[in-house]
Amino acid sequence: MAAFCRGRHRWKRTNCLRVLTRNLTGKYDYDLVVIGGGSGGLACSKEAAQLGQRVAVLDYVEPSVKGTKWGLGGTCVNVGCIPKKLMHQAALLGTAVKDAKKYGWQISGPICHDWATMAEAIQNHVRSLNWGHRVQLQDKKVKYLNVKGSLVDKHTVKGLSKAGKERILTAKNIVIATGGRPNYPTNIPGAVEHGITSDDIFWLKKSPGKTLVVGASYVALECAGFLTGIGLDTTVMVRSIALRGFDQQMAGLVTDYMDAYGTKFAWMCVPKRVDKLSSGALQVTWTDTHTGNEHKDTYDSVLWAVGRAPETKALGLDKLGVQLRKETGKIVVGADESTSVPNIYAFGDIGEGRPELTPTAIKAGKFLARRLAGRSTELMNYDNVPTTVFTPLEYGCVGLSEEDAEKRHGKDGIEVYHAFYKPLEFSVAERDASQCYLKVICERGGDQKILGLHFTGPNAGEVTQGFAMGFQCGATYSHLLQTVGIHPTCAEELTKVNITKRSGLDATVTGC
Amino acid sequence: MPHYEEVTVRGYDEFCQAVSERKGKDIFAYFSGDKDAQGKSWCPDCVKAEPVVRGEMTHLPQGSVFIYCQVGERAYWKDSNNDFKKTLKLSGVPTLLRYGTPQKLVEEELFKADLVRMMFTED
Repeated sequence: MAAFCRGRHRWKRTNCLRVLTRNLTGKYDYDLVVIGGGSGGLACSKEAAQLGQRVAVLDYVEPSVKGTKWGLGGTCVNVGCIPKKLMHQAALLGTAVKDAKKYGWQISGPICHDWATMAEAIQNHVRSLNWGHRVQLQDKKVKYLNVKGSLVDKHTVKGLSKAGKERILTAKNIVIATGGRPNYPTNIPGAVEHGITSDDIFWLKKSPGKTLVVGASYVALECAGFLTGIGLDTTVMVRSIALRGFDQQMAGLVTDYMDAYGTKFAWMCVPKRVDKLSSGALQVTWTDTHTGNEHKDTYDSVLWAVGRAPETKALGLDKLGVQLRKETGKIVVGADESTSVPNIYAFGDIGEGRPELTPTAIKAGKFLARRLAGRSTELMNYDNVPTTVFTPLEYGCVGLSEEDAEKRHGKDGIEVYHAFYKPLEFSVAERDASQCYLKVICERGGDQKILGLHFTGPNAGEVTQGFAMGFQCGATYSHLLQTVGIHPTCAEELTKVNITKRSGLDATVTGC
Repeated sequence: MPHYEEVTVRGYDEFCQAVSERKGKDIFAYFSGDKDAQGKSWCPDCVKAEPVVRGEMTHLPQGSVFIYCQVGERAYWKDSNNDFKKTLKLSGVPTLLRYGTPQKLVEEELFKADLVRMMFTED
């Protein structure tokens, strides 16, 4: 009798285990459902599929206020990095054509730029990228659904199509990679009705004309930069400082260059209202916070670049208890991209404290996919991420700003090597190089480990990329000195930098 | 009665003519190396891809046009200055494209029926 009782308990336990296992394999439609088909979402879903997981990715673009919408690929492909860099290139080519005359090219008369030609070419390229991503997903056996995803419970996602049809998917794991969208300053009358954002600028069929860019983030400065470069009357309205979060000395060089090259700046100004005139032009009223005076001017377009908001509202996160950071609205995530709900993960722009960059989203997405497939335990390393601001004078950097280095190590704990240099190509072109500058912030004493590297100049992104690898390897100032420069380049000046800020000596590079 | 129009052309001029006569329509164009008297193309990938593409044609959108275009002999195709490469920007045969859009499938992609079906059925 006793033996039989013992046996019965054991049967109950093993049967429970069998039912649990059956639920884990085959109960869910997918091993992984990714909400968001941008840089992060696509990388994560493709990697997971390659590792044998059953994956679905849901991508949906809610049209902007102005009605702009786009295809698969997210912000970077459609309304960010890609079209931005191409328009930046269009602007640089305008400057290059001007320089060309000094190099002997016979160019008759003033050159002018046609927005429609540029926009069509760029938009076509973006569409080819949308298609390329679509083919890749299909090829890698990722199920793609053009539906707006939201969470029903921790294993169930609802997808709503444009036509209003609903579809339910169940998943073992859910990943949120919905990114962000530009903010509208809703407290400014006329802002929403009459203004546009970065969601719209790259898809305009006609030139934006005389433009007011409100904001001083890299989005604002990059847009104002290329608009100026293609010949448009452009003003940047800055509330307080430019490139908040970036090294402020470098930010100053960037804006000084833009100012010298024709971008107008309205510093310490805040817009009050936007009205549409009978002519169709936009009248902006603003306050100069320095003097307290009110000013008005008319523009063809007003571009709001006042920050980006995370796409979390329509996800149903509060229902599931996914924790958000109140100040930013972003999802609180762990080092492994986990959220407060066990099988729900979030990464990319939507993650609190994460860089809003494509390469980090892609890498984090791949690592997450590998961990979820049980193939790896490696976490994403968010340190030492290099970046570049593609303003007319480009600014590339990796590591700490001088302000942050001082905070961490004290002013006496760091040594800043710096130099003003002149790109060789500027000489014949008779271009002003006053803002071409670089600095290497090192620990003072010891190995003089490099804490931060900053560079303004042509092709800053190309220059910085290589040095970022050295940085990742823990490069020191002596490593830099041991590195032989490539001549003649701008990058070589980083290997030759030897004047310290502390010395107070003139940091202008003289000839070879 | 199929729900799409099939047009057969040979050479660049005939292709352009067929397109200009069908302005505003959803045109799918399939480019293949010329077939010999026995009906076999000099392009081995084209031989492999054609039945795959033909197998998915029932999925073509209503009212669309399918242009089957023979590009020419192998020597003509190998010349990088030929009109298809220069003007239409074709990189290889076989190519299936949706005219006026960046939607394109080339070479080995056309061995996969699901990719062809995807092009015919999605926007």
